[in-house]
Amino acid sequence: MTTADVLAPLDPPSTPPPARRRGGVPPLARYLLVRLALLIPMMWVLVTMVFILMRVIGDPIQAALGGRLTAEQIAQRKADAGLDRPILTQYWEYLSGLFRGDFGTTLTDNRKVSDILVVNGAATLELAFWSLLVAFAVGVPLGRIAARYRDRLPDILLRLFSILVYAAPVFFVGLLLKLAFTPFGWPSSGRASIATELTLQDVHPHTNIMIVDAILWGDPALIGDVLKHAMLPAIALGLLTGGVFLRLVRVNLLQTLRMDYVTAARARGVSERRVMNKHAFRNALVPVVTVMGMQVALLLGGAILTETTFEWKGLGYQLSEYLIKRDFLAVQGIVTLIALIVGAMSFLIDVIIAFVDPRVRF
Amino acid sequence: MRIFRRGTAIIAVSALAGVALAACGAGNNSGDDAGSGIIVGTTDKVVSIDPAGSYDNGSSTVQTQVFQYLLNFPAGSTDLTPDAASACDFDTPTTYVCTMKPGLTFANGHELTASDVAFSFNRVVAINDPNGPASLLGAMKSVEATDDSTVTFTLNAPNDQTFPQILVTSAGPIVDEESFPADAVLDDAAAVEAGGFSGPYTIGKYEKNQVAEFTANPDYDGTYGKPTTKTVTMKYYAKAENLKLDIKNKEIDVAFRSLTPTDIADLEKTDGLTVNTGAGGELRYITFNLETMPGDDKDQKLAIRKAIASSVDRADLSTQVYKDTFTPAYSMVPDGQAGATEAFKEAYGDAPDADAAKKFLDDAGVATPVNVKLQYNPDHYGSSSDQEYNAVKRQLEATGLFTIDLQSTEWVTYSEEYNADAYPVFQLGWFPDFPDADNYLSPFLSPYDKEKSGNFTNSHYNDLDTEFADPEMTALLDSERTDGDKASREATLKQIQDRIADQVPYLPLLTGSQVAVGVDGVKGLDETLDASFKFRFTSLSK
Repeated sequence: MTTADVLAPLDPPSTPPPARRRGGVPPLARYLLVRLALLIPMMWVLVTMVFILMRVIGDPIQAALGGRLTAEQIAQRKADAGLDRPILTQYWEYLSGLFRGDFGTTLTDNRKVSDILVVNGAATLELAFWSLLVAFAVGVPLGRIAARYRDRLPDILLRLFSILVYAAPVFFVGLLLKLAFTPFGWPSSGRASIATELTLQDVHPHTNIMIVDAILWGDPALIGDVLKHAMLPAIALGLLTGGVFLRLVRVNLLQTLRMDYVTAARARGVSERRVMNKHAFRNALVPVVTVMGMQVALLLGGAILTETTFEWKGLGYQLSEYLIKRDFLAVQGIVTLIALIVGAMSFLIDVIIAFVDPRVRF
Repeated sequence: MRIFRRGTAIIAVSALAGVALAACGAGNNSGDDAGSGIIVGTTDKVVSIDPAGSYDNGSSTVQTQVFQYLLNFPAGSTDLTPDAASACDFDTPTTYVCTMKPGLTFANGHELTASDVAFSFNRVVAINDPNGPASLLGAMKSVEATDDSTVTFTLNAPNDQTFPQILVTSAGPIVDEESFPADAVLDDAAAVEAGGFSGPYTIGKYEKNQVAEFTANPDYDGTYGKPTTKTVTMKYYAKAENLKLDIKNKEIDVAFRSLTPTDIADLEKTDGLTVNTGAGGELRYITFNLETMPGDDKDQKLAIRKAIASSVDRADLSTQVYKDTFTPAYSMVPDGQAGATEAFKEAYGDAPDADAAKKFLDDAGVATPVNVKLQYNPDHYGSSSDQEYNAVKRQLEATGLFTIDLQSTEWVTYSEEYNADAYPVFQLGWFPDFPDADNYLSPFLSPYDKEKSGNFTNSHYNDLDTEFADPEMTALLDSERTDGDKASREATLKQIQDRIADQVPYLPLLTGSQVAVGVDGVKGLDETLDASFKFRFTSLSK
């Protein structure tokens, strides 16, 4: 007898009520369209805020040439660069460019912003991937263990561990890891050794994602080198998120384990392992998926510190560099992309949730 | 318990697998595949390989390796030597003519002729990129290729002795007119692809501000001589601490720009490393806004400036703050430059003299303690500025003659506010465009006139509309700029430096040394760390 059999007469499962279409649009489609439509004003508000804020804090020409040229010369250069045009004109030009997919060229080092987004974006994506892997590898199984041994020593130790890794600043953890491992020959910085970096420039297609390029190149030594370089930054950033996952899995698992159907399953003599794996754990993961999307934003934000500490030149690192130089075109482009990624992740999570839990569609 | 053991086993196996995979790369250390090449690490950033789009140290270091100039400085010397040109000289007082060496080519096979030279200079002016060096060509009225091997520069001022030096600056690299556009800055990837390089090295592989691989150019015929090292790789670091860690662990061969004084002191004690220092050109100084500084009249303001000059302890700043990576500067022209003197040491001594300071103030009727608002910037000139200016504050207050209100502002705001007369006394720094005394004098002392570019410090010194105008200084500057006789020019330079020490519109504090840390076995670092400030890969070998 399965869980479904036991529950069927007493408590209808999460069977959705008969769909009520509004104007002929299925509820799921309506739900997703609304979510998608909300992305647009969010992006617009963010881009506008960044546009205004960056112009308030100064310009790249002053930042670079102040202290070398006279005020008049600097003013002339600003005029030549079009920075003295009406703000609305600059704003409209920028928005028009965004709609065309033209993010512009940086003012301080003459790079296409789209190139930065591709090259440095790939680095951040790679770091986020490894970090999420670590977060899952650490957080999920340890969360299970903590729930299984609730209020006993393993649970207490694991909760303490989760607080520690969550509270410790990521750059501090990064520095500690470097100090601990570099004496043993572990690389302290970079995405790969110089030789590997140079070799992988010849890979076609060149994805800028080191592990992918190394796999495409097909040399296990290069793959190992890339993995070795990824380990410390992934651990530093992943532990932060892993602590969150640990707590989340624990709490959700404990709640799920208190549900009636679990009690019923236990009463029927279903083994504890089967209760945990088949009935409780999967349901407990649903909120984790939701939080995972939000953690992507955290990873991107925390990535700035990790990227700088480990010379992992991703979007976060570039963003901090361009902020210091007041290169507002670059900052606008990068922030727009990060907002797009966060928005897309949120949308994706909403889609997954809508499929997993039909109640949210109504 | 079984779940606990199983979960632990899963984690353990995964970790072991990861480490095993990573260990496959254990032998793949940086530099292995570079053979006998040299790896240089730096925290400098490249703004643009294209000379028309850059005016910074990071870009200049790359350009030094891959481009030729008409004239250049050989390693260890500040005597201009023909590079792409076979000879250059004044033809008339306002025309400067260079004759090209025959048979020069770019790495892509294109010929390098006088036409490329004229094109290179004209495009810098025409493009006038905000990041570019167009302002360095203010002395040039026009340039043309009069034939395939002759370039003629027409100058604005006759006998401008600084103009040959301009040819070696960021404005001077010669680019391939068939590869570089006349009206736009060429992005780095395209520049590397085009291969329009005639310098001692070409760029093989390049990832902007990450890594650049330089390969010796067998066709190079110029000042630096043939490279001894076939491949030099430049690795760009975000943080000095990572640069320090890698040189300490011998992951790279050379660390050049910029390590902190504390890092350098630590590396000096590290086995297997040599810290090389050379003549530095960077100058740190205090600027007095002659209009807003304390003092009721011109005489009192001068007395206050002289009193401050008598009170600072440069040796203390050099040793305690900068661990001797900066040395005391007793003139706006650093020691080592032709014509440099120690005018401030002669005038005020090399140690604080509170009695002399008090006498200046008493003679001018200045009440003590004098309240001075001193402004500095904590980020643009390095993280040690904080310590430096707190030390200056302590030194001045130790005399009992001053009360210092020390404030700091971040750079962008700082550079706007000092130009708006917001700071009476403030920190500035200077890195020269070329190694000539004039580059430490004219930018600071030329007549200040709102109608034309002049004094970027906004000190109001030599402001033509005010009591601070100094026609005598203007005449001295005009004289030294156009004087072709070395001895007489140096005599004029001495007069100028003495006058600065007498008027104290600026108070030079420190000169920075060039520092490069090399793994033992790397040769040539001391040779290239000279007063020309050109870091030449051609000098390096191991």
